[in-house]
Amino acid sequence: MARIVGGFVAPHNPVMYFNPEGASKQQSDACYAAYGIMADRIKELEVDAAIVIGCDHYILFGTECLPPYVISTGEIEGPVDQLPGLKRKPLASHGALGEHIAKVGRETGFDWTVGRALNVDHSVAVPHHLMLEPTGKDIPIVAVMLACGVDPYLPMKRAWDLGEHIAEAVASFPGDERVVVIGSGGISHHVGDERMGEVNPAFDRKVLDIVARGDKAAMLALTDEEILRDGGNGAMEIRTYACAMAATRAAGGRVIGYEPVAGWVTGMGFAELEVAA
Amino acid sequence: MSRNTLEKVLYDLSTSGTHKKKFSEDPNKFLSRYQLDDKERALIREYKVRELADLGVNTMLTWGFWLQAGKSNRDYLKIMKREEA
Repeated sequence: MARIVGGFVAPHNPVMYFNPEGASKQQSDACYAAYGIMADRIKELEVDAAIVIGCDHYILFGTECLPPYVISTGEIEGPVDQLPGLKRKPLASHGALGEHIAKVGRETGFDWTVGRALNVDHSVAVPHHLMLEPTGKDIPIVAVMLACGVDPYLPMKRAWDLGEHIAEAVASFPGDERVVVIGSGGISHHVGDERMGEVNPAFDRKVLDIVARGDKAAMLALTDEEILRDGGNGAMEIRTYACAMAATRAAGGRVIGYEPVAGWVTGMGFAELEVAA
Repeated sequence: MSRNTLEKVLYDLSTSGTHKKKFSEDPNKFLSRYQLDDKERALIREYKVRELADLGVNTMLTWGFWLQAGKSNRDYLKIMKREEA
């Protein structure tokens, strides 16, 4: 049976691409080094597939239909929001694993919206570019998109439950794939509002501490009001962290790096998640 | 006043080159296709991003709407902070 062998949380900051000089060389080097460490770990884990948990930025899904959570079950292409050095292209997809998770979900109370030929944005393409491609293996992915950027937001508890469901579904997949999950998102950041550029290291470290402790209760205790106040609208993306933590059974982890990069408008946190036996 | 159609317009403009072209060629004709009142059409035509955000329009859209027109990020932030751009 397939199994989840590792997990990570990491930012997907597009500003890194279109304004690389926004960070000091020291901060930029630290961030790219963190991505490199994670890529090395993924290679060491001999991974066969990755589940990348991202979130729409009002680029993929419009007012006509705003799904709470989406999973890829076929071809994947992206990012639709191309960046310098990151052009839109087909991404290797593990459609069978995505379809299996969706099927298990339909039978157990998780009515996934499925993308049979899914376009993704930078929230999936950036971790793919910086964490999976450097392994030198064309690791197929399952893309998961949570409603983190557009209301109605997926409740944190539902994101957690979704992660537990993913873990159970992967365990029943009829294959021997070694799978990693990646929770993709920045911590404090404000997207498009008057506080854009503010970063809150205290909030960022609080979130990373919760991740490192695998503290479900503390994660679920973060209210939307607190996140919006202390972390900004972009920080709603930490739902992807909750989902990844739950998918690895909240066994804790280690912080790989943290940089509050005002010029990149984001608290950039990186952590590896342990996987419960 | 509904933020829904305002968001629909901004989403369409941020995701479709065809829509962008039509809007830049004839904003009034483009906006006539949407369920907007005169005040709402003016907010979009005049890039009133602060007022749009105050109506509850998602700021990911207002930011993208501003930038796709080739306007500067510096001016956007001034307007959002209610400073003179």
